[in-house]
This record gives sequence, C-alpha cells and structure tokens, in this order.
Amino acid sequence: MNKVMSNKWIIALYVLPSLILLGALVYIPIVMTGYYGMMQWDGIGEMNFIGLDNYVHLLQDSTFWFSARNSFLLALFSTLSLIMYLVVSLVLSGKIKGSDLLRKIYLIPMLLSSVAIAQLWIKIYDPNNGMLNSLLRTIGVENPPAWLSDRSTVLIAIFIAIIWQYAGFYIIIYSAALKGIPASLIEAAEIDGATPLQIAWKIKVPLISGVIKTTVILAIVGSLKYFDLIFVMTGGGPNGASEVIASYMYKEAFGRYNFGYGSALGFALLILALLTTWVIQKVMATKDDIQY
Amino acid sequence: MFRKHTFLLILTVLFIGLVACGNNDAGANNQGNENGSNDDVVIDFMHLWPAGSSRQHNEIVQEIVDEFEADHPGVTIDMEILGNEQYRENLSVIGAANELPDVGMTWAGGFIEPYARGDMFTDLSDLVTDDFVPGTAEAYEVDGGIYGLPLELNITPVYYNQAIFDEHGLSVPETWDEFKEVVQTLVDNDVTPITVGNRDAWTGSMWYMYLADRIGGPAALNDAISREGSFEDPALIEAAAQIRELVEMDAFINGYNGLGNDEAKGYFINEQAAMYLMATWDLPEWTTNDDNPQEFRDSVGYFKFPTVEGGAGEINSYVGGPGVGLFVSEQSDVKEEALEFVSYFVERWGEMSVTDAGVIPATTVDTEGLDLPQMYIDILDDLNEATNLTLYADVQMSASTADVHLNMIQAIFGGEVTPEEFAERQEQALSDED
Amino acid sequence: MTVLSAVGEKNSLKRIGYAILYFVLGLIAVFQIYPLVWLFFFSLKGNAEIFGRSPFALPEDWLWENYARVWTSGNMNTYFFNSVFITVSAVILTVILASLVTFAITRMNWKLNKFVLLLFMVGYMIPIHSTLVPLFQFFLNLNLLDNPVSIVLAYTAYNMPLTIMILMGFYRTLPREIEEAAVMDGCSVHRIFFQITLPMTTPVLSTTMIINMIYNWNEFVFVNTFISSDRYKTLTVGIQNFVGQYLTDWGAIGATLMISIVPILVAFFFLSNRIVEGIAAGSIKG
Repeated sequence: MNKVMSNKWIIALYVLPSLILLGALVYIPIVMTGYYGMMQWDGIGEMNFIGLDNYVHLLQDSTFWFSARNSFLLALFSTLSLIMYLVVSLVLSGKIKGSDLLRKIYLIPMLLSSVAIAQLWIKIYDPNNGMLNSLLRTIGVENPPAWLSDRSTVLIAIFIAIIWQYAGFYIIIYSAALKGIPASLIEAAEIDGATPLQIAWKIKVPLISGVIKTTVILAIVGSLKYFDLIFVMTGGGPNGASEVIASYMYKEAFGRYNFGYGSALGFALLILALLTTWVIQKVMATKDDIQY
Repeated sequence: MFRKHTFLLILTVLFIGLVACGNNDAGANNQGNENGSNDDVVIDFMHLWPAGSSRQHNEIVQEIVDEFEADHPGVTIDMEILGNEQYRENLSVIGAANELPDVGMTWAGGFIEPYARGDMFTDLSDLVTDDFVPGTAEAYEVDGGIYGLPLELNITPVYYNQAIFDEHGLSVPETWDEFKEVVQTLVDNDVTPITVGNRDAWTGSMWYMYLADRIGGPAALNDAISREGSFEDPALIEAAAQIRELVEMDAFINGYNGLGNDEAKGYFINEQAAMYLMATWDLPEWTTNDDNPQEFRDSVGYFKFPTVEGGAGEINSYVGGPGVGLFVSEQSDVKEEALEFVSYFVERWGEMSVTDAGVIPATTVDTEGLDLPQMYIDILDDLNEATNLTLYADVQMSASTADVHLNMIQAIFGGEVTPEEFAERQEQALSDED
Repeated sequence: MTVLSAVGEKNSLKRIGYAILYFVLGLIAVFQIYPLVWLFFFSLKGNAEIFGRSPFALPEDWLWENYARVWTSGNMNTYFFNSVFITVSAVILTVILASLVTFAITRMNWKLNKFVLLLFMVGYMIPIHSTLVPLFQFFLNLNLLDNPVSIVLAYTAYNMPLTIMILMGFYRTLPREIEEAAVMDGCSVHRIFFQITLPMTTPVLSTTMIINMIYNWNEFVFVNTFISSDRYKTLTVGIQNFVGQYLTDWGAIGATLMISIVPILVAFFFLSNRIVEGIAAGSIKG
C-alpha cells in the first residue's frame, strides 16, 4: 500500500507488547525447559548436566514412540472429524429454521470443564451399568466390550469423547466464517439457479478455505498436546494403552520426579508440533498464502 | 523460506534464553524479606483436607491450630489448603522452585526420598516417641533419618456383604481354597464376587501383595524391593499366577481395568458385588456415612485375608501403611517453632482423630471408654495382634519403579503378560535403579 | 400438467429431505445438550445413587441441599468474583492485543511479519505443563506469585496464539477496499484499526471472546500453581475442594459445576447474539 501502512513505529507499537509478553511467559520458559531437558534432575535436589543423554534416551524409549503414535492417531481422527463439523456448519448456514439456537446448543459441551466431561463419559462407558452397554444389551449384543478396560477399544472410546467435546468449538469458528460471506454473493448464485449444494461447495467452501486451513492446524497441534480428558478417564492405561505424549510427560515430571526427562519430552513435543505444522503448510500451501 | 525463518527463530530463542538466564540471579534475592521484620512468628502450613471434602479432618486441624496459637502467643499459623491431587502437583512445583512451606504433609516411602536426599525436609528422628505404632514412623525413614511424622495408619481387610453371603449360604473363608469356593459359588449364582477399580492400579496391587505375603511370607516382597532378594522368587511368581486364576474364574467385576476405585466402590455400596478389598480409611463409609443406606451399612462385615495352605504367611500379617505425615522444611526460618508445632499436632491429632473423624491415627489408641462403632473397636484390636505390616508396594518403591509395578499389575490382571514376565519386568526395573 | 406434477414431486422430495435434515440436526442437538441435563440430575443425587444406578435415572430424592451445602461452605462468593474478574480482564486484554498483532501482520507492510507470525504459532504448540516450573520461578522472581495479575498475564500469553490464528483466517478473507480507501482519504492507522477494521471483525471477535472466556473460566493448572491464598482462587479451583482423598461428595461437585456453568452460559448466549447484531451492523456499513 503506502507509507502510512509501513510506519515502523506503529508496527512496533502494535506487535511488541504482545511479543514481549509471550517472550517472558512462553518462550523463555520453553527454552528453560529445553535446558532442563539436558539435566538429570528429580526436581528437588542438585541438577547434573548430562548433555543430550535424555534426548538420546527418548529416541530409544518405546513408551515415547507408542504415546507419539497415539497422539498422531488422535490428530488424524480430529482432522477427519473437521469434515463432519464443516458439513454441519454449512447446513446451518443455509435456510434452516432455528439454526442460531442449534449452533448454541452444539457448543454446550465446550462450556463444561474437562473434569465434568470425563465423569460423564466414564459413566457412559461403564461396562456394567453404563448407557452404551445397556443400549447394546437391549439390542441383543451379549458381551459388549468393557470399553475403557480393553486395550483394543480404549483409544477409540476416548477419541469419540474428545471429538464430541470439540464439536462446538469448530462449528462456531466455521459458522462465524460463513456469516462473513457477503449475502450478495449467495443471492447472485441463487438467481443463476445454483442449488444449495453447489453454493456450499463451489462458493462457501472456497471462500473460507483460509479458515479451514487454520482449523486443520489447530486440530492437529491441539491433538498433539492433548491431555485433559485422557488423564482423567484412563490415566493413560490400561498398562499404557492410551498414553499420549503429554500424559507421558506429565507422569515423568510430576509423577516420577524425572524432571529432566519430563522436560526433554516437553521439548520434543514442541519439535514434533513444529515439524508437523511445517509439513501441513507445505501440503496445503496455495500461492496466495503467506509462506511460513 | 522456512529454513531462513527457522534460523531466525533459533537465534531469537537463544537470545531470549541468554536474557532469561542472566535475570535469574537478580531476582532470587528478593524473597528473604517477607517474614524478617516482624516480631511475630508466622508458620506457613500446607495441608490437603479442604472443608468441602474432608470436613471433619479440616475441623480438627483448625481446632489444633487455634489451640496452638492460643498456647503460643506471637505465633501465627498461616494455612494453605489444597485437595489431594492438587496438593501433590503443587508440592512438586514449589519443591522444584525451593519454596516449600515451613510445615506440610507428605506421603511415606519412595515419595519422600528425593525431598530427604535433596535436603528439603528436616530429620525428625528426635520427635519420634514410643507413642507411635511400631513400623509407622519407620515408613518415613531415608538413610537412617526420619523425615515425616505419620498421622494415619491403615490396614487392609476384605470387606464383604453379609446379606449376599447369607443368601448363598456362604461363610467367611479362612483359607485360600475356601475363598476360591466362595468365589465359585457366587459366580455360579451370577453374583459378581469381587469389585476392584484397577484403573487405579494400587487397588489391584493390594490383592497381589496379600497373595505374595500369604505364599512367600512378608520377607519375599520386601526383600525383592529392597534388593536383598529377587522379584523372580517362585513365591512372587506363584502369587501372580493366583491372580490369573482368579481372573479366569471371573472373580473380578467386568471391566475392572477401566474402572476407577470410586466406581468400583460404588458397585459394592450398591450391593452389586460381594467383596471389596480396601484400606481402613473406608471405615466411615460402612459405619457413619449417612449417604449410604443404613441397611447396606448394617450388612457390611470384614475378614482377614485368608491364608494359603503351605504358604509362609500368617493371617495376622497385614498389607497397609501410614497415610500422610507431617514434614518440616529444612530451609524454614522458623524451624524451632515449626518443630514444636509438629509434635504438638501429632499428639492432639492422636487424641481427636479417631473419635472426631473416624481416622485411625499412627499413635496408639486406648479403646477403653471410647464411643466408637464396633467395627473400629475390632480393627483396633486386630492391630494390637498384628504380627507384621507390609507397606503398600507402590509406596515402598521409588516413583518410577512404582509405575512399572502398577502397569504390570494392570497387565497381569488383563492377561497381557505371563506371571514369569510379570516378575521379570519388575526385577528388571528394580535392578536398573541400582 | 406434467410440469406441475414434476414440481409437486420435487417439492415433496424436498420436504422429505428437509425432514431428515431436521431430524439429524435435532439428534445432534440432543447429544450435545444431554451433558447439561445429566449434570443437572447428577448435582441432585447422593453418592450411592451416582455410582450405583443408571446415569439417566431421575434423582430419587431431589437433593437441593447439595446446592445449599456448596454455597454456604464458604468463599463461593469470593471464588465467583475472582473468576469473573480474571476471565473478563484476560479476555479483553487478549482480544485487543491479538487484534493489534493480526492487523499489523496482515495489513501493514514489513519484512519480518511472517517470522513474527511463526513465533506466535509456536506459542500454540507448547503444552502448559512443560513450562510450569520455569513459569513459577519467573513469577517468584517478579514477586507476582499469589497475585491475580500473574494469572491474567498467563492466560493472555497462552491464549494469544490461538486467538491470533483464528483472527488471521478472517482478516485474510476480509475485503481490503474500505481500508485502502481510508488510507487514500488520509486516515491515520489508529483510526483505520479502531473505526474500520475492528467493527468489521465483530463476528470473529465475539467468537474468539467466547472461546477465550470458556478457556479462562475453566482453567485450572495455573491458578492451582500460582495462587495460594483462598481470597484469590477461582471457582474452578474452588470446586476441587470438594474432591476428597477418601470420601468424595460427588453430588456437591455436580452442584458446584452447575453453579460455575450458569454464568458462562448466560454470557455465551449474550455474546452469540452479538455475532448476529455485528453482522447486521456490518452489512449496513458495507
């Protein structure tokens, strides 16, 4: 544009306060964490510098890789579930009576804290008295699985709860984006005889592609560091079957007093998230986008 | 593009890191002044009994603190109260930042090791009197010093539902074979014999520990953990095999590995399961807690874990241990007063806790003339006859070995490992520690 | 005739389609609203009922005293006020700072903008538990422990990346013509930002406010770690006072959760109406 919009002082005024705040509260601590990752430290006594030993150990730690696998599975599921949220949002953006109310209702699970949600799902999955198995027994399933107790079902059971928890989050983001589309564009298409499906697919989706891309990153990175529900519902069990990176890190640092190794895990999580984001950017890049 | 920015990012991060490290020392000196200029002594005291969840505990603490303050003019106790899990997490953060309160609560065994070895807790050996039940204060021992004064003592009986037992003509089993017959009868009649919330694997661990004790005697497991013996001791493997046998008989509630202790207890309270192995901290649930139906409470009884024929363990040997205890911070600037407070606290607590909160204190109780539910009297009498008290395995072990142990407990219950593998993995974890 | 019947057929097909659509939407709504209903019943039950009986059952006796017990067990007023104060301050601070940053990155011309954006995105990737100890030491050095300011600052810093990323998506789709015209007219940057851009982004601002509000209201770890005195604790942390070591009063926990959800529910309904108004206002200006 022109000079006004290149004023260095104004840019600094707008950006620096936030950057300094994040510097102090986010970047410095994570650098410290990376540094603690090079220590053998129980969080209490003396720190011993052991260089990259923790990181080397991490690369050979099968629990880490297994929890990383689970984290990436969760990321994959979350990303796929975005399609569902997008479809719902598109439907709601059409001529649906009561769409505003529905949107509000869909967000309700988000309002509950993770502890409450975990309690609810524990009750739903209860192998004997729970809703799910009562339902399955009524329709004639004789031995329904003990969801959270069974290594083969525990992950999917938790993922469903998480996806359910986040539905509202993505639906309001998509909805706000769809509301931002000028009504004139839609009307013009309608006059040209486009069906609602065509309008949704050919006009609305491309127009909010930037937002969709953002949500993909949010879903993936958010999943990689996800922790809350899993920790309350299974504690990573049974026997580590539902461990994710963040719960493993928490256990090492706060449960087993391996602060050094816990820090290394935290730092590794950041690196993984960075790499993944970079890959997503590469895959999803289009030319009008900012390249990171 | 990315590469260039990554490079810049790393530079920035390094720069910020340098600034951060430089700042660290500058700020560290500010803390000392908080208490200094006052004539009055303030003791910071952190405990884990909020009024909302542990009302009676909370009130006793408040009462003791009030009394202490009245007896010691010029001393104020500044309390911070957190719930159990929050307390644990908070203690590790403030421990890492070297900001412990003057007095606080700690757990026994492996938990205090890092604090004791890191010179964070004070050696309280001088305060240990004869009043403590033998074995309780020792659970807080690290390298010859005692770093916590126990407040509670728990043993672990098998609670059972008498109504269910009567209905199926069962009597209390005294041997393991009788026990298995009871289980079989219940299974045949479509009653869940045992509820266990093995998502909290310390509950399953109690079953395993008792079997280990009854088969191999108290020494087997203790020696394996203290490295005087091995976890691959045949008795320890046999105990795991017995767990497998119970599982295969369908002795445990469906989905035990996914249930938490609270949910598992719910089945017992709701009379959907006949037996529940749990520590005596649950006694109020079966006696005084009005939330549970009177009819149910009347039908709860308990029995000692049965003996195994030909095994080395006796019926009066218990799995159990002290619960929380008090520590004094090594760095406290009011250590003298803090020490006095701690011994005052333990004494008053011993007098009040059993009658007012239904807690069995770690100091000896004279049941004469006390107005207590019969189950308490019986348990207290049993305690006097106890020949051995084996501290909970996950408490005895260091935090990371305990984790392996608990995972293996879930695995052996879930049938993911054989008894031999079960023993081998724990032996490995224990020997890795040395 | 044929044309007419074809139209009729199409209409009835359309009607069936809509019926199915509404049915599905309604079903999802039931799934999503159920937890609130469940929690409400839960809050009126005793422990035995909660663990023993079906989670769908109505309470046997409606234990309203669960609510009374919670409310009178001290400090709920204080917790409530703290929650409101901390949440509101942090939300306002976050949304304003994040808008300024997003504006500078997408609308202004400078070389490092992509790099700075990357920095902010990195912030989103950091799990809070891995920075807890350094952060504690930092606040300790600044004497900000046990001070609500530390919480407001931490919330702002940790929610800013997410807020910026959501805002970014919208700023990119927003037409620049109005702003460009304003520059031509000699408007200052501040005026453009506050009088043109900010109002245009009302829908997304409400969205980010809602998300921030929910996160801050339910946040737990920071308050638990950095705040020690009771007078600064929030409702979410206060609730944990009811989670006991051995005996846990689940009905009371349910009641506290209900008490803590109502304000946020009200705020949420208010804010999401603002989205609609914002659009109406935006389209008039546009």
